[in-house]
Amino acid sequence: MANLRDPVIGPVIRAEGLTKVYRSGPVEVQALRGVDFTAAAGEFVVILGPSGSGKSTFLNILGGLDTASAGRVWFRGLDLTALDDRGLTRYRRDHVGFVFQFYNLVPSLTALENVALVTEIARNPMPPAEALALVGLSARRDHFPAQLSGGEQQRVAIARAIAKRPELLFCDEPTGALDSATGIKVLEALTEVNRATGATTLVITHNAAIREIADRSLRFADGRIAEEVVNPVRKAPTEVSW
Amino acid sequence: MVIAPLRRKVLRDLRRLWPQALAIALVLAAGVATLILGNGAHAALSDTRARYYADYRFADVFADLTRAPLSLLAEVSALDGVLAAEARIVKLGRPELPDLTAPASMMMVSLPARQGAGLNRLHLRQGRLPDPLSTREVVISADFATAHGLQPGDGMSVVMNGKRRMVSITGIALSPEFIYALGPGEMMPDPRRFGIAWVPRDMLAGAFDLEGAFSNLVVQLAPGADESRVIAAIDRLITPYGGGGAVGRVDQVSHAFLDAELRQLGAMVKVLPPIFLLVAAMLVHMTLSRLIALEREQIGLLKAIGYSPRAIAGHYLELVLLIAGCGILIGFGAGAWLGAGLAQIYARFFSFPFLVFTRDPAVYGLAALVTLAAAVAGALQAVRAVLALPPAVAMSPPAPADYRRDGGHLAARIPLRQSQRMLIRHLWHWPLRTGSSILGVAMAVAILVASLWSPGSIEHMIDVTFTRADRQDVRITFATALAPAAFADSRHLPGVMTAEPFRAAPARLTKGSRTKRIVIEGRPSDARLSRVLAPDLRPMAMPEAGLILSEALAEALDVRPGERVQVEFLDGRRARVELPVSGISVGYVGLGAAMELQALNRATGDGDLVSGVNLQLDPAQSAAFLAHAQDAPGTSFLTVSDLTVARFRATLAENITVMITVYVALAAIIAVGVVYNFARIALSEQGRELASLRVLGFTRAEVTGILITELAVVVALAQPLGWLIGHGIARAMVAAFSSDLYRVPFVMGPQVYATASLVVCAAAVLSALAIGRRIGQLDLIAVLKTRE
Repeated sequence: MANLRDPVIGPVIRAEGLTKVYRSGPVEVQALRGVDFTAAAGEFVVILGPSGSGKSTFLNILGGLDTASAGRVWFRGLDLTALDDRGLTRYRRDHVGFVFQFYNLVPSLTALENVALVTEIARNPMPPAEALALVGLSARRDHFPAQLSGGEQQRVAIARAIAKRPELLFCDEPTGALDSATGIKVLEALTEVNRATGATTLVITHNAAIREIADRSLRFADGRIAEEVVNPVRKAPTEVSW
Repeated sequence: MVIAPLRRKVLRDLRRLWPQALAIALVLAAGVATLILGNGAHAALSDTRARYYADYRFADVFADLTRAPLSLLAEVSALDGVLAAEARIVKLGRPELPDLTAPASMMMVSLPARQGAGLNRLHLRQGRLPDPLSTREVVISADFATAHGLQPGDGMSVVMNGKRRMVSITGIALSPEFIYALGPGEMMPDPRRFGIAWVPRDMLAGAFDLEGAFSNLVVQLAPGADESRVIAAIDRLITPYGGGGAVGRVDQVSHAFLDAELRQLGAMVKVLPPIFLLVAAMLVHMTLSRLIALEREQIGLLKAIGYSPRAIAGHYLELVLLIAGCGILIGFGAGAWLGAGLAQIYARFFSFPFLVFTRDPAVYGLAALVTLAAAVAGALQAVRAVLALPPAVAMSPPAPADYRRDGGHLAARIPLRQSQRMLIRHLWHWPLRTGSSILGVAMAVAILVASLWSPGSIEHMIDVTFTRADRQDVRITFATALAPAAFADSRHLPGVMTAEPFRAAPARLTKGSRTKRIVIEGRPSDARLSRVLAPDLRPMAMPEAGLILSEALAEALDVRPGERVQVEFLDGRRARVELPVSGISVGYVGLGAAMELQALNRATGDGDLVSGVNLQLDPAQSAAFLAHAQDAPGTSFLTVSDLTVARFRATLAENITVMITVYVALAAIIAVGVVYNFARIALSEQGRELASLRVLGFTRAEVTGILITELAVVVALAQPLGWLIGHGIARAMVAAFSSDLYRVPFVMGPQVYATASLVVCAAAVLSALAIGRRIGQLDLIAVLKTRE
């Protein structure tokens, strides 16, 4: 892992003075207040914080789903803040994988087909079956979402997110809708994927215990990064007390 | 005023769903409008006719004869079942006006001695009736007067019985006898070339040597009288005087054409409104089902806090009734507007003194009731689902759609892109909705196919009738059948290149209990101008003795080639013979029978006679020809094929353009309504999936493409079905429109299907564009952050 964090290669993603203001009529909500952030290649970062602290907004802007009011974001040499909708779509398509709390699988496609949905439009994908194997779901490849448990559905979502071999993997509350045993399986899948693909992984969670599996954890409060902790040693998901 | 919360929700739902609600309302409106138009026009036409007939004492029985003494009238009047009888002189004359170069005819009808008495009374538009003792004064028909700018006080000359007479116009009038005023030998009314003049009896008697005699009899029946018995009794009385056989209203030209129009309207009412109401019911069902699925949790909540299932079901019904109410109101407006337009077309075609387009509340009430019933029927199934759900179940989200049994494995084996797989499985998963959407779009195609075929078949009719069968440039019809010398004379008229004689013998054909009164036309066996065509459109050789019947006549008499029919000739020596049917021919106008000329003359026993001549002319000399031919002593009237065809085309083109515009608009309403609603529902269901795809890196165009492809599949599948249904409707219309007056050939070319599909596809593309904008506005983050 050390060489992946080599400063010569530099950060994969970098934000400077990131600010986001939502306006709804006369009401103004300051979601982000000048966030600076960098992540190195292959780094696993956990983001904590109460609801409304700005962590989802932060992830959405980094993932090209939302735009900043001020400040800038670079993916390697690419200035995301300068991109239009078409450019952001291209960026998501080529470089970013997403995992959400509610899986968002296509119900009319099987597990394998859900993964293939992405590999069909990716430049350098892995075979869909390989992605499913990475999350331990080879046996369930021909099942439809309605036939899978929540944890299994989330693992399909992870396989779908990483099958394109993204440089960035963004997960918003991936275990939020799951019980602890299932949650651990999902986290295992995430750490395994992070190890195997070297994708820089950012995971938002409400569960503070999860930070121990990361290289680094950030705590958001009131639109800012209030605390940053680097773990000298990463725990395995099974070692985390839920 | 306090509005109950549920009612407030109805109003807000309506505001939120307005494009879908409007689409449904418009389809309902189209149903209401066609119901009102069809029923209203039918009622207007038949009521107006009935009132006109009653007020102006339209006769029930009509008979032409050669010459009968006026004393015969007393015998007719004394017949059982006769309420009133009138002896008239009715003869053709030829009007001469400076602006009239084409051949024209004027029907000269004698007026009763006592002004304003008698049958078939006139409705005076302008001026006054002629002085009964005058030898110059006439009243002319309103359409002819308008066409030539004639006013009371104007004079004109009319050639009567070969002599030119100056007449002066005292009035402009209408008569129930000539509501549809068709000139002799014509296919469409042409007020420029055909008019009616009502003339004092003595003047006509003088002109046509009929002093103390009459040539036409009209009879009004006593209530409850048996028409056929009276006709038989009249025939017995008039036969010795050259009576050609009395007929009832059914065979009176003007009445028969009105009947045909009424029957067409009746057919329209049976076909169009049910289509719209069916489609509307399907749309209501589709849209409401989706709305209820989306509001499942709210419904659970309402039940949990104590609203009764009836109240909740009533809430959704209220929404549907509100939409139906809007549709009904729009339909009322459109129906009244279209009705006024149709009344204008009638006014152009038919000469009525008044035409009130009915505002009969029963017509509107029935339309509203039927429409509400269709909308509620569509809603009931969807609302039933609300009643069944226990609150606790309703409040939890529905289980994810299970695609296991939807032919999933079949679709997995076919090499497809995943997005294509999605749309196939999605369409398959909702078979009812997919099916009804396909059916809906198919109905739009069908309406178009069923309306667009007519121009092609009219062209076919013209082609068969005028370029294959009756190829003469002009037909001269003599006032009475003449010796062959008249034919020889006509060959020497200027510009005549080819001439062929014909004999027209009115006859009654009987087979078993079926009887038809027709004209048997005799032609030379090697006729080159006026030919009889076999069903494969090849000219038929004239048999030596037998009859060739048109398909329509053969069907009406139920005879086949080889069988024999009784023939009773209705003029001359009135011979009765039995003749074999030698063949069946095609023909679209009237009921026709043909024989070889000499064979016909033998059968009638009248000797060698011709009724007229068919001619081919040198175009350069046609003006000279017309001038001479009109003045030739034997000539009764001329029929110029080019003028007949041009009038036929112009009249139909005008009406068909109006009709097709209306049908295209109606079909577009259905197509837009169905496609838009289908797309909105698909978007509502798949919005989340489509947003997920956008997050995964699918471009806006790719995501829009998925939904559009789904629409395209529905629209494409609907085409062949629509063609099939349209074909069926068109065939039924052909059957419904066919009468003894004319038959419509069924000609359906590929361009009809292509045009229908093109119009519907254009409407679908418009709906798709509206949906495409909505996909662009999908909020990616909001969709992903929430549970469905």
